[in-house]
Amino acid sequence: MAANPTTESGLDLSWLDLYEDATSAEPGKKGLTLKEINLGRYADSARGAGDMTYRMRGAIPRPGAQRFGPNYQSKADVWAENCLMLYEEATQRQWSSARDIPWDTLEPLPDELERAMCQLATMLTEVEFIAGDVPGQWMPFVSAQDFEAGLFLMTQIMDEARHTDVFRKRALANGGGLLAQGAGLGLRTLIEARDFTEMSVLMHVQAEGFVQSMFRMGELIGQTEADKRIFRMSAQDESRHLAFGVMHLKYVLDTEPERREEIHHYLDKAEGDAAGGGSGDVTFPPVFEALCILLGGGVDKFDEGLQKFLLLRKRQINEYVHRLTVAGLGDRRQRLGPLMAQFLDPA
Amino acid sequence: MSTGEALARAAQATQVEIPQEARDKARELGWEDGLIELALSKGHSLQVIWQALRAGVDGERAKEFLQGGQAAIPRDLSWMNVPTEWGIRARPKDPAMGLTIADLMIGTYGDVPDVWTNRSEIARGSYPNPIVEDMGYTIFEKALVWADCCVPLYEEAIRDRWVSATDLNWNSLEPLPHDLERAVCQFMTEQSERAYFTGALWSGWLPEISYGFLELKLFLSTIIYDLARHSEAFRKRALANGGGLGLQAPTDFSRVAKEARSFPELAAILFVQDSMLYTLFSQGDRFAQNELERDLYRFVARDRKRMLDYHIERMKHMLFKLPDRRDEQNLYFNKAESRMGKDWVDPAVSEPLAILLGGGVANIDEGRRQLRELRQLQVDNYLADLRKATFERKHINGRLEQAARA
Ligand SMILES: [Fe+2]
Ligand SMILES: [Fe+2]
Repeated sequence: MAANPTTESGLDLSWLDLYEDATSAEPGKKGLTLKEINLGRYADSARGAGDMTYRMRGAIPRPGAQRFGPNYQSKADVWAENCLMLYEEATQRQWSSARDIPWDTLEPLPDELERAMCQLATMLTEVEFIAGDVPGQWMPFVSAQDFEAGLFLMTQIMDEARHTDVFRKRALANGGGLLAQGAGLGLRTLIEARDFTEMSVLMHVQAEGFVQSMFRMGELIGQTEADKRIFRMSAQDESRHLAFGVMHLKYVLDTEPERREEIHHYLDKAEGDAAGGGSGDVTFPPVFEALCILLGGGVDKFDEGLQKFLLLRKRQINEYVHRLTVAGLGDRRQRLGPLMAQFLDPA
Repeated sequence: MSTGEALARAAQATQVEIPQEARDKARELGWEDGLIELALSKGHSLQVIWQALRAGVDGERAKEFLQGGQAAIPRDLSWMNVPTEWGIRARPKDPAMGLTIADLMIGTYGDVPDVWTNRSEIARGSYPNPIVEDMGYTIFEKALVWADCCVPLYEEAIRDRWVSATDLNWNSLEPLPHDLERAVCQFMTEQSERAYFTGALWSGWLPEISYGFLELKLFLSTIIYDLARHSEAFRKRALANGGGLGLQAPTDFSRVAKEARSFPELAAILFVQDSMLYTLFSQGDRFAQNELERDLYRFVARDRKRMLDYHIERMKHMLFKLPDRRDEQNLYFNKAESRMGKDWVDPAVSEPLAILLGGGVANIDEGRRQLRELRQLQVDNYLADLRKATFERKHINGRLEQAARA
């Protein structure tokens, strides 16, 4: 250690030589990302015990640090192995609802189609709003020992703000307006969660999964180039949120397999509570009808639209079960409620 | 075969389990016992029956449909004619900015109410459903949270974003003398933690704010995202040049922010920090040791300017609307200043800055002189920021005053 010059200068310098190793992370192909600085005693694999302060992983504990209230003490409570990568991807792939959507290509639509699109946008701007509140609610409980999970959630809050605003913009950009509130979309379950994993499996895996399956049919739902692009860009973001949820669930099931039945309980509740539609329920009548009109191409093609709506539902359910299977919860297939099970393809 | 037919056949082939929710709903709507089973046997899929139930088709109508052999699927379409404002065609006022949320503030959609009364999840301007659950929001008063500038600042934040991984030239870093590198790293350790904490803190307040103040929540989301990036950028710098993370940040100031019992208290307390930190980072050229740090501090200062603009305008707006709450603010400023004074005299806070300002331990006297200058500037700017918010703070807390002169 360097000589302590305290006496001459009156400096304390007790902070200056608290560690001896020198760390020099090198930028990689994508610049200096969280992966490059995830090394040595700073790495997530070297995580020690947490405390109830905001001490970042690897920083030296301060004697006398005050506590900030309870947070999760074990990594499995909030962790997903892909959160470092997802965080950096989020920062690279931010987009602008103001400038990246070709608003000038919007053209007047037949009234019934514009109304259907506005109804869908009304529902989505509502759903996306809570998707920011929910990770926000949990941020104070994510330990700074697992700060990358927290950083990821903060990018999600930004993503959801953009989604909230882009669907509001869409409703107000083409001669329409907002329509009926989407009551009964199964959103309460998201904010009712009393555990991070419960929240994540309900929001990231179930609700955002359902929304994602719908966005992926955006080419069929959207009537204009701008609409299709909104769905494409939003789907790009949702895939990160989903990926976090799937990998968090996997991490929990891998490291704490005794939680399996508990997690099934949360899903039992959420699948049942939203009247069988799950969180982000598209069977709410105005949304269901709007989707049938958009997918069919008009009120007079409602029945064609209905067939495509059933296809959308089928896709939502099968992708949902597939994601749960990837996470290690494949046995969910046997427990789906009848309103979901009717769409399930054979294993 | 269509999906609908396939589902209907599947329903016939297997004994479809009828969900309890569907039975309850059918009873509520006056469907005769066995009508769901009849519909299934006639080849309607469970989903279609479900949609009829959700749409409120009563027992009479359901029976008619089934006897006539028609699909029981109703087309209500009443949502098409709800009395919301229709015919809106928002256009970009400034083509360079694109279609901004400011462009959406037209007609009734631009009305931000003084008091928002809807407790449910609802998009402001949409047609409320009469029977909805309370979502648990607690903030319904515009005067407590609102500032008009959050509307343009939201889009500016998006326009001005930057990425620490690639917008900073990490390859340009060169080894620094031991004392300087350690001082940089200690400063980064402290600031990384403060940014992460503040991001988490703001995040936790989001679920409190109702949909009436949508644009404010959007703006706060950019603040949270900025703070995430500041936190990781500071950490990256600490781990990139032969140093490491030092001692965790002092906890006095952060605790007082965490202790806030209401949004106005939180905002008053963070006003103090956000004003001080804006001045600090806007003076970053004085303590940056290289180009990368200069760039980093400039980016951070630009982001922090938006936070500060929000604080000033919110405070001004609140004091105008709620003049009887003016004196109360002194209580929050006073305790925030006091705890900040405690943090400032912590050796792990003051010494790294003095070393960086002076250019090394050997020049500590010059460094201390410069730090006093910087602290005084922070305090002066803070008082000026309060004045912009129409708040005259007659005496700052003595502890902070002493810390600035130490
Ligand atoms: Fe979203
Ligand atoms: Fe999402």
